[in-house]
Amino acid sequence: MKYVDEFRSGELARTLVHELDGLVEPGRTLKIMEVCGGHTHAIYKHGLEDLVPPEIDFVHGPGCPVCVIPMGRVDDAIALAERPEVIFTTFGDMMRVPGGCGSLLEAKARGADVRMVYSPLDALELARRNPDREVIFFAIGFETTAPATAITLLRARADGVKNFSAFCNHVTIGPPLKAILDSPGLQLDAFIAPGHVSTVVGTRPYDFIARDYGKPVVVTAFEPIDILHATVMLARQLREGRCEVENQYTRVVRRDGNPRALAVLEETMELRDTFEWRGLGWIEGSALKLRPAFAEWDAEARFELPGARIEDPKACQCGEVLTGAIKPWECKVFGTACTPERPIGTCMVSSEGACAAYYNYGRLAKRRDRVTA
Amino acid sequence: MTLDAEHCITCGDVAVTGKVVEVDGATATVEVDGARERVGIELVEPVAVGELLLCHAGIALEKVAP
Repeated sequence: MKYVDEFRSGELARTLVHELDGLVEPGRTLKIMEVCGGHTHAIYKHGLEDLVPPEIDFVHGPGCPVCVIPMGRVDDAIALAERPEVIFTTFGDMMRVPGGCGSLLEAKARGADVRMVYSPLDALELARRNPDREVIFFAIGFETTAPATAITLLRARADGVKNFSAFCNHVTIGPPLKAILDSPGLQLDAFIAPGHVSTVVGTRPYDFIARDYGKPVVVTAFEPIDILHATVMLARQLREGRCEVENQYTRVVRRDGNPRALAVLEETMELRDTFEWRGLGWIEGSALKLRPAFAEWDAEARFELPGARIEDPKACQCGEVLTGAIKPWECKVFGTACTPERPIGTCMVSSEGACAAYYNYGRLAKRRDRVTA
Repeated sequence: MTLDAEHCITCGDVAVTGKVVEVDGATATVEVDGARERVGIELVEPVAVGELLLCHAGIALEKVAP
């Protein structure tokens, strides 16, 4: 595959693993949190956990937007979707996420007009083609996905499309990391920061992790060589007693991000006072809502929502998985009552969720056998 | 641009790199492994044919260094 093969080279992987062997201290575990679900997925897809020295312990973070959406917001989405005048559009990943009263897929089976889209721009096009219907887009994701929503809102306003609106659930990357760093008893040595979120926000939002918490951070991409390289960079920082924010993904990520993407976000959205995260609870300033100037395109302003708060199922330990407190296989229902086919928790629904990654790549037990690159 | 079924679109970290084959106003056609996709280029303009763009959810997020 073009632009990808060079980042999957076995020879490079061997070199990096050899370098890593020289950087870790035998017997001293380094707990490295990969914030993003995309990294978790790549680590297991490419078997990286078995390549690196046993001293490296990858801890899976909260960076899967599907996994952190609280059940009450899913119920709000279903309530919108079940309105007869509405065409409810969503990325496919959200279709099976269970709320308190089922999923969007089940709502669709009951007759709701729920459609999968690849881009919010597709939802806007749907609104243009169906002027007698209300088209709502389930806007969800970190700062990587939020600019697509922002561009769509700006196009809707410019073109006077009044039957389109967004149900905004976009979240921000910095506050949940702070919440994790503040959680008592959690021992982490370093962070692998998400690559494409950083394309938009740059590397500055992670400065506080190095400055205030003394933990090294490396921003990296999603191919196995990228992740191994980032792990080497972190191990080297720890070995040399440095604590910095470094950028491994220099082919795309800049220190200040993409100022134009930040500008369209600033124009269309503002921070919520607080927002509920599954597993992390309420976190101040951790999510975005549409600005009042975009109220005409804001589904929350235009339609009544149940707005109920739903407790997670008691058996579900997604919260502990999302904060890295337990590994997926330590959850009571992992692989038994909770599987990708019949998920109880969101970490098993989303293909980027830590539980789904473990399940799909056969990480069903604790034992790790090291393999050669 | 096709994403394999094991990836989640909501997570922007599955953005893919495409090569620009045509530019039409605020929209460009990019090619990824032979498949073509139209993406909004408001965030990366000006864009020239042959440039590489990191694309996600129907928009180009950034130019990729060749």
